[in-house]
Amino acid sequence: MVNQGGGGSVAVAQIPTSFGHELRACLRCRLVKTYDQFRESGCENCPFFQMEDDHERVVDCTTPNFTGLISVMDPTRSWAARWLRIGKFAPGCYTLAVSEALNPDLQNICEEEHVPYVPPKRV
Amino acid sequence: MVKCAIGREREVAVCLMQKCIDRGPELQIRSAIALDHLKNFIYIEADKEAHVKEAIKGMRNIFTGKIMLVPIKEMTDVLSVESKAIDISRDTWVRLKIGTYKGDLAKVVDVDNVRQRATVKVIPRIDLQALSNKLEGREVPKKKAFTPPARFMNIDEARELHIRVERRRDPATGDYFEKIEGMMFKDGFLYKNVSLKSLSTQNVQPTFDELEKFRQPGETGDGDMSSLSTLFANRKKGHFMKGDRVIVVKGDLRNLKGWVEKVEEDTVHIKPNEKGLPKTLAISDKDLCKYFEPGNHVKVVSGATEGATGMVVSVEGHVVNLVSDTTKELIRVFADNVVESSEVTSGVTKIGDYELHDLVVLDDNSFGVIIRVESEAFQVLKGVPERPDVALARLREIKYKVDKKIFAKDRYKNTLSVKDVVKILDGPCRGKQGPVEHIYKGVLFIYDRHHLEHAGFICVKSESCMMVGGSRANGERNGNSFTSKFSHLRTPPRVPTSSMRPPRGGYGGHNNFGGRGGGRGHDALIGATVKIRLGHYKGCKGRVKDVKGSTVRIELESQMKVVAVDRSHISDNVNVTPSRETSRYGMGSETPMHPSRTPLHPYMTPMRDSGVTPYHDGMRTPMRDRAWNPYTPMSPPRDNWEDGNPGSWGTSPQYQPGSPPSRAYEAPTPGSGWTNTPSNNYNEAGTPRDSGSAYANAPSPYLPSTPGGQPPMTPSSAYLPGTPGGQPMTPGSGGLDMMSPVVGADSEGPWFLPDILVNVRRPGDDTTPGVIREVLPDGSSKIALGSSGNGDVVTALPNEIEVVPPRKLDKIKIMGGAHRGATGKLIGIDGTDGIVKVDDTLDVKILDMVSLAKLVQA
Repeated sequence: MVNQGGGGSVAVAQIPTSFGHELRACLRCRLVKTYDQFRESGCENCPFFQMEDDHERVVDCTTPNFTGLISVMDPTRSWAARWLRIGKFAPGCYTLAVSEALNPDLQNICEEEHVPYVPPKRV
Repeated sequence: MVKCAIGREREVAVCLMQKCIDRGPELQIRSAIALDHLKNFIYIEADKEAHVKEAIKGMRNIFTGKIMLVPIKEMTDVLSVESKAIDISRDTWVRLKIGTYKGDLAKVVDVDNVRQRATVKVIPRIDLQALSNKLEGREVPKKKAFTPPARFMNIDEARELHIRVERRRDPATGDYFEKIEGMMFKDGFLYKNVSLKSLSTQNVQPTFDELEKFRQPGETGDGDMSSLSTLFANRKKGHFMKGDRVIVVKGDLRNLKGWVEKVEEDTVHIKPNEKGLPKTLAISDKDLCKYFEPGNHVKVVSGATEGATGMVVSVEGHVVNLVSDTTKELIRVFADNVVESSEVTSGVTKIGDYELHDLVVLDDNSFGVIIRVESEAFQVLKGVPERPDVALARLREIKYKVDKKIFAKDRYKNTLSVKDVVKILDGPCRGKQGPVEHIYKGVLFIYDRHHLEHAGFICVKSESCMMVGGSRANGERNGNSFTSKFSHLRTPPRVPTSSMRPPRGGYGGHNNFGGRGGGRGHDALIGATVKIRLGHYKGCKGRVKDVKGSTVRIELESQMKVVAVDRSHISDNVNVTPSRETSRYGMGSETPMHPSRTPLHPYMTPMRDSGVTPYHDGMRTPMRDRAWNPYTPMSPPRDNWEDGNPGSWGTSPQYQPGSPPSRAYEAPTPGSGWTNTPSNNYNEAGTPRDSGSAYANAPSPYLPSTPGGQPPMTPSSAYLPGTPGGQPMTPGSGGLDMMSPVVGADSEGPWFLPDILVNVRRPGDDTTPGVIREVLPDGSSKIALGSSGNGDVVTALPNEIEVVPPRKLDKIKIMGGAHRGATGKLIGIDGTDGIVKVDDTLDVKILDMVSLAKLVQA
């Protein structure tokens, strides 16, 4: 029971430590953390971006422009998480929508890694 | 959905996350959602409400009181609401939402999405005075409420006031700016760095003036086009109609013209003009623009110049130039605001008491002629002869209208009056000529059709003119000069009559008659023979000498008098339809409606038309039959009718069944709306008809409608003023029934039953008690005399029989009501009621004593 407290078999993503302008959302998985958190540990769902190594990457792969916040405790069993297509990701705080799409280069990386990427819906 | 502290929605969501991490599977909620735009609430997803309660226990910012279940169907909408943001790009038109520039139009120069800021260009509103005061350390009175007007920044002016102006180079764009107090100026514009949140991008509809202002410093027409096209890209355009001519302005098919076939949500299907293309093309409405050919007659339907009609002269992209019908000026409007129409409007020509071309005196005692009527103000050409001076005057700035007949002298000492044709000898308009419209204080206002400015009006001193047509000195008395001088007037018919008049002599009216020619617009009346119908001079005939507003001066035939009579008091034998007036003052498309205004004449006395009266009389009679409260039914149609609302005719058709003569009467009125509507309006009239309540409390507009479906006789009854009681005679009698008392014993009276004790009263005899043995069909009964019914049997009529009222504890028989025929015991008496214990049912009932009779056992 206690070891499950760590999130069980899945590692829980870090949750944001503050709420100011530093909050950023990963453009692919929409995970929300602060800029510093991304710089230190990268994005748990998208390790291939390697944000820990390359600080520029953080700016490219994340954006401060996002709407809405959803904290997902158990993505596999949450209807909302599945609706938002984050059912396969780690538990943590995500955003409902990001403002812009990934760079073409980064999109290519996603394809190489066979990682699904859905650009945000434009009205 | 759970209520939480305002502003802390995100915090709460994250705290829940943290709690979940700490507590593990104990916490059984699945997710927590905080929406940006939903304040005070968050959504928590869980299997049971108990789980939610458990999870939020102990948390500071959540209120456990308000937990609401939201069905999943609604959650899909909640989660999908985000994608509304339009990315602000360069050169878009926006409006600032906050600050001194709130509501001002601005153009985006640079966007910084990272920092969520943008640089916009806006027309400065700087109060230089206050600024310099501040810099010099002087006390600046806090003028918060005062927004400086938008004006381009003049650097030199700023320098003069010793404000420090620096020339800086902006590192980002490389341009030179003038920096004053931290604000950056270029080309007179202020470049402001604002957050994206403070800009509104939706529904920014720049007016033409604003765009013009932006265009001013140095930009050419090209800038206009590009800026306009971005403008239109974001605009909500919903007004393409089938049949509109359009042109494609963006994309590969640019400059393709076509007709609109079908309009859908965002796409418009057009039929292109070119061959070789498919029959219909679907194009996004953002790429289309309405197109007009030069020569089209159009009408402006929105914007500042709404209501104007005119002819298209040229088309420049989105802007259409048209020449107005009324003012003959060039108007520039957006193509979106224009529709093709053959309607020719004269526009608004009258506000309050003042009309177009009136001579008025303004507040500052200057005078002038109204040359244009706009939506709220007038353009007045002032009476300054040296140079044309046009002022914009509001209604309240006008003191009064001048209508006096004043004379002036021209250069050669000829007397000039209104309507004389003069030629201008001096000044900038030299050589022009035209009739004099107004004279005031030695200044003439001449109307020259060919003069393009100021609606053709020229203001000139009377001495600078020469009368065309010779001198007038004494010729008027002879009537000879009339023909020569006033040939341009419409007075020829009057000339012979006036020549007949001289025998009368002594009348200054004659000269004035020819000389005055009447006020403008009333010429048709002047000189007409009329009969005075009301007033002191009723019955007299006379000729109209002059018209002034609503009074008419008439020269009586019978007496040597010229009297002033109200216009409504006269009727002329000539049925003059003042159609000329209506084309000027009426609303263009409604000219045919003008004669139809006549029915309202009795209710709106000062009407311009003199042709009214034949209708006037003829109309009164049917009116009287129909409605004794003539004003009530008429007022709704009158009001509605001003709007031209076809629905308003609903009140009229109902007169049809009731009074055939009225139908004929209504016929002259424009049947346009009328013929279509009867069916509709019968429905409308039908509804109040059907509801019974319409009878009892018919609001007056419906009063006429109710008889619409009734048999013809009812209108008369229905119209009796204030007789709602009369109405129940019509099938709405249900109401009455309710009012009448319960059908019961009272109305019919108790009937006799056998075995009851009665007193028989024979004429001549005393009353003898008896017991009814039998009740006959005709109402009489066989009574056995004697209190126990042992005596003789006699037959008595009901009016000879009197029921004996029972006493307490008597056995009684119930004669009336629901329990008629039942027996019982009277256990008490309460006033006029008796308390009865019914034998069969053992109920205790309270019945009127009248319906109880003493029972006598046989």
